[in-house]
Parts: sequence; C-alpha cells; structure tokens
Amino acid sequence: MTRKAFITESDVRALAADLIAAGTRVVAPGRVGTPLGERIEYRVANKVDEILLGQDEPARSLKDFFLPPTDVILAWQEKKDQVELTPVSSTFAPQVIIGAKPCDAAALEIVDKVMDWDYHDELWFGRRAATTIITLACEGGDRSCFCTAVGLEPSGTRGSDVLLTPAAGGYSAEILTDKGEKLVAAHAVRFGADKGADEARAFAEKGRKRVDANLGLKPAEVRKWLAGHFDDAFWKSIALACHGCGACASVCPTCHCFDIVDECEGLGCGVRRRNWDTCQTAKFTMHGSGHNPRADQSSRMRQRVMHKFCIYPERFGEILCTGCGRCARVCPGGMDILEVVSKVNEMACGGAK
Amino acid sequence: MGELQELARKLLADGAVKVVIGYEEGPRGVRPAFITTPKDADRLVFDERCVHNLTMYLTPTRKHIAALGKPAIIVKGCDTRSLAGLIRQSQVKRENVVVIGARCGGVLKDPSVKAAIAEDTVADRCRGCTIREPRLVDHLVGEPKPAPPGKSLVDQKIDELDAMTPEQRLAFWHEQLSRCIRCHACREVCPNCFCVRCLADKAEPLESSAHLRGNMAWHMVRAMHQAGRCVDCGECERVCPADIPLRLLNRKIARVIEARFGHRPDDDPESTAPIGSFQPEDGQEFIR
Repeated sequence: MTRKAFITESDVRALAADLIAAGTRVVAPGRVGTPLGERIEYRVANKVDEILLGQDEPARSLKDFFLPPTDVILAWQEKKDQVELTPVSSTFAPQVIIGAKPCDAAALEIVDKVMDWDYHDELWFGRRAATTIITLACEGGDRSCFCTAVGLEPSGTRGSDVLLTPAAGGYSAEILTDKGEKLVAAHAVRFGADKGADEARAFAEKGRKRVDANLGLKPAEVRKWLAGHFDDAFWKSIALACHGCGACASVCPTCHCFDIVDECEGLGCGVRRRNWDTCQTAKFTMHGSGHNPRADQSSRMRQRVMHKFCIYPERFGEILCTGCGRCARVCPGGMDILEVVSKVNEMACGGAK
Repeated sequence: MGELQELARKLLADGAVKVVIGYEEGPRGVRPAFITTPKDADRLVFDERCVHNLTMYLTPTRKHIAALGKPAIIVKGCDTRSLAGLIRQSQVKRENVVVIGARCGGVLKDPSVKAAIAEDTVADRCRGCTIREPRLVDHLVGEPKPAPPGKSLVDQKIDELDAMTPEQRLAFWHEQLSRCIRCHACREVCPNCFCVRCLADKAEPLESSAHLRGNMAWHMVRAMHQAGRCVDCGECERVCPADIPLRLLNRKIARVIEARFGHRPDDDPESTAPIGSFQPEDGQEFIR
C-alpha cells in the first residue's frame, strides 16, 4: 500500500509549522545548549527553526518519548483506613516525530513485542498509537554503526509512517502506513508528485555499503554460540573496564527495563512511578537476602549481550539491538558492543578469519 | 618497545604484579586496559588522550579487578591525589599496588581526536596543574613536559554564578539538573564513591526518580559528600550522558573548603582532611 511523493525541505518545515500551530506536539532533532557545549537531542520543537534535518545522531534515542526516564503510573491517596488509587490516562494527545533515525524508528517495533507479551503496556501503546513518525534516511553514521548486521537498513522503513530520503531539491517521500497516509492527506499541499526515487535508491545503497563495512554478522550462529557459552572465560575478559554505570542502557533505543517506586507528594498521598533501570548495576538483581546472582560486572555485561543477541531473539524472533552504536559512543570505559559481538561472531563461525 | 611498555612487561614477567592497569588503543580512541601477560604489554599507550582517572579500579567495589591479583597502575600527577585519598580513607594499602607515574603535559578536552596540547585543546581541569612531578609513585616514566597552558574557565563560570541572585542561580541549576536521568554514571566513575551501599540505592530518603526534586537531592547529597575530598579529576563530568556541568558544583565546594579550612586535597596520604579528621580547636561556627 506504500506510495511515493516528494517534499522540499522548506515544505517539511512548513509542515512542522502547521502542526505546531495546530497544537500538535512535534518532536525532532535539535540543538541543546549546555555550559559544556552543544548536544543534539530529540526534543519537543517549539519553533520550526529549532528542527535539525541533518545526519547527526541525537545523543539519546526516541525511547524517551514512549518510555520516559520517569513516568507516573498511578496516584494514591489515603482515605481513613483505605487507600484510593487513581490510574493515569493511557490516552495521549497526538505527536509527530520529524527526522527520526531509521534505527530509532525500528527500535520501537522491536520493543513492541515485549510490551505486548505477558501484559499489554497501556502507556507504551497509548503513546505509540498517538505518534506518527516521519523518518529521515541515514547516510550510514560512523564506525560504531552496524544496523545492517542486525537486519536493519540505514534507509529502512521499519517502524516509520513516512520515510524521507534526500534527493535533489528535497526528499523522496515513501508513505508507509495508514497513519502516514492520514498525515500526508491532511497536509497534501506540502507534498508534490513522486520524483527522485532513483536518487533515493542510490542513497540507500551507498548507506548500506558504508555500514556493511563495519560489521558482518551471522545472527543465528551468534545466538547458538551464546546459548552454549554461558560460563565461557570470554565474559571475564570483556567487562574489566566496565564501571557498571548503565549509561549504555540509558542511551539504548531498545533497553526497556524499569523499576517501580512509590513516592510521597504530600501527607497521605503520592504517586507510583516507573523509572528506567538497567541490568548493568549491582542493585538490579540484588536479593533482599543480600545474595546477588549476578555478583560481578562480567555477569552483568554477559546479561546485556545475552539478552540482546540470544534471549530476546529466542523469545521474540528479534535481535534487541539496532546497531545504532550509541552505547559505544557513550561508554566511559571505552567498551564497544560492536567489538564484543564481532568477537562472538568469530568464535561462533569457527575462529578468527 | 618503549620505557612504559618495557617496565610493564618486566613487572608481569617477574611476577611482581598480576595485572597492569593502563591505557590501550580502542575502537573509539584510548581506553582503560588490563594487561595480564608480558606479551600484551606492548598494547599499552600513554599520551594526551589518556583522560581517564584509573584509580577507581583500585577501590574494593571493583571485585573483578581485585580478583586478578596484585595490580600496577599508571597514573598521571593529578591521579595521585585520588590515590592519596584512597590510601587516606583506608580503601587502598600503598604496599598492595605498584604505582607507575607517567609525566604529563595535560590531557585533551576532546580525547577522541589526536591533537597537540594547546590553549584551545587542553582539558579545562589541567589548567593550573600543580603536580608536575608525581611523588606517590614507584616508577616514573616519560620526559618532563611543559605545564598545561591557560587559566581555568570553570573558575570564571563559578564567579559568574556567585555574582547571580539566589533565584538566578537556582534557575541555572534547575535547567542543568532537569537533564539528569539518574543513571549515576557520575558516581560509578568516581574514586571517592566507594560506599558499599550508596544512599541513592536505598528506597529512602533519596528519591530515585529522574524528576527535578529527586535530581536536586541527589546532586546536592553527592556534592556535599565530595567536600574536601574531590580532587577535580573531572571524570563525573566527562562521563555524564546528559552533559551536566558537575565540575561547577564540585569545584565550588572545593573553593569553600579551601577558604574555610585551608584544605586542598593533595597527593600526600598523611595529610588530614576536614571530613575524616577531628581537631578540638575547630571553630564550628556553622553549628552555633
């Protein structure tokens, strides 16, 4: 059902302006100034000129807009000897993401599986339903990118409603879903007839080649090796520099674990929140008895790799990694998932090449 | 093989140590390395990209490092202040570690790219470096280098903040700390954060949620616990995935401590710090 159209950069901005003027929340990459310098983040755009339509990767993923670092899930109030609970609404106002990275859009579909597994996560799917995603094709990132090794593409359409690929004078637009169609129909004046499809194909091919050069992977072999090497000495060797800070998980588009806390907001009332949590900290698996089944950092690092490349694939048929490379960019210990998975791949495929 | 690599190889070959904690070339630049065999000693590098303060790998919280056996560690002059602090606070026994000092002329503010040290490339914390010749070492490698150039911009920024009204200053910190996602990476890389169980990991009283109230509480508690202990190695600020200017907090408190107690954390394990020492003649006006 996909169809193609064309949009100029100024029309992308005009589209964003129309949405903002109509009160729709627009999220897009933008610059955030700090005393330490500028960083690029997905952020709510209040003005069109804040939107960056470039190739720079936002420091954090889109996860923040579907599973925020802290999120109220219910409110409670003491009433004599009773506690009254008030659930939060799982209906959200529409939001449109403009300039999503293809890997970040794909991550949402991958995480959908666990969010609809042993329970249906209403807050996650409430935000998913309210969101339309316009993705901007990627020219291939940097040396830490390996989306093609985990079955994705720098110009991939997965998880996107509309994919924009740079072409002369603007973007070739691929309209992929009903949601995308609805958005385009509502702003038809911004879109022109299909052109630039050949350029878009060439752009996609170039990006794929660039990322392909970073890492080749045999996912089935990797999964098999991991399943059979839980106690391998390899794990002890890779986590020595790890601080257990979990910065990797915080920037990861697919890490989705959370903790639940109750916090007072006054006398006899408060809220229940869910907060990001990560298997990279000692506290994550600490038992009330003081026993910790993941007693050292190597077992925690093993968990991260196992969950992404073995456990999740076995359960959901998906690698829980988009190859976005953020964890490697952010790691204070210089650890690199590409390097780790590449070594596993070598061992899985019968030694070093 | 260079002087450093040869020394590390010998220490490992002689069995003097089981691991050399240093730096190696990684996929994205220099990173911490743990060399356990003599043949791997040539992986070690030391240059102006070696920003990391490795001394936190010596704290008892790093069980997986301790399990490797007696370590040698490569330290810059500034890092020896952290090491002295760990010895002073009974976290490290001096005789249990072989210390290799590397002469340093400053590290880069952006260590991902190789560059020469200059006024515009040097890390801010190196400006005004006081330890040109590391003392707390067993071996010293490298040639003497010129002192890092320039004057600290952090001190300038602190002066600016001090000149603000309390409301303006609060607004500044609200803006900075609202970015915090409570990953606690600042804590994990800090040589001073060796508590077996951190206050932030308890259900009470510190809220773990990444809202402004919880973030303010966390950063204030952390800053206060660094009073008189923080050596301004800048690791917390370097690793923060939200780019929170944590050195502003730490250095501000260090300045207050220096003004009030005449104390600056140095590289002498025998020196006394305001927290962790008691003197009957203490003024204690702040209690009255």
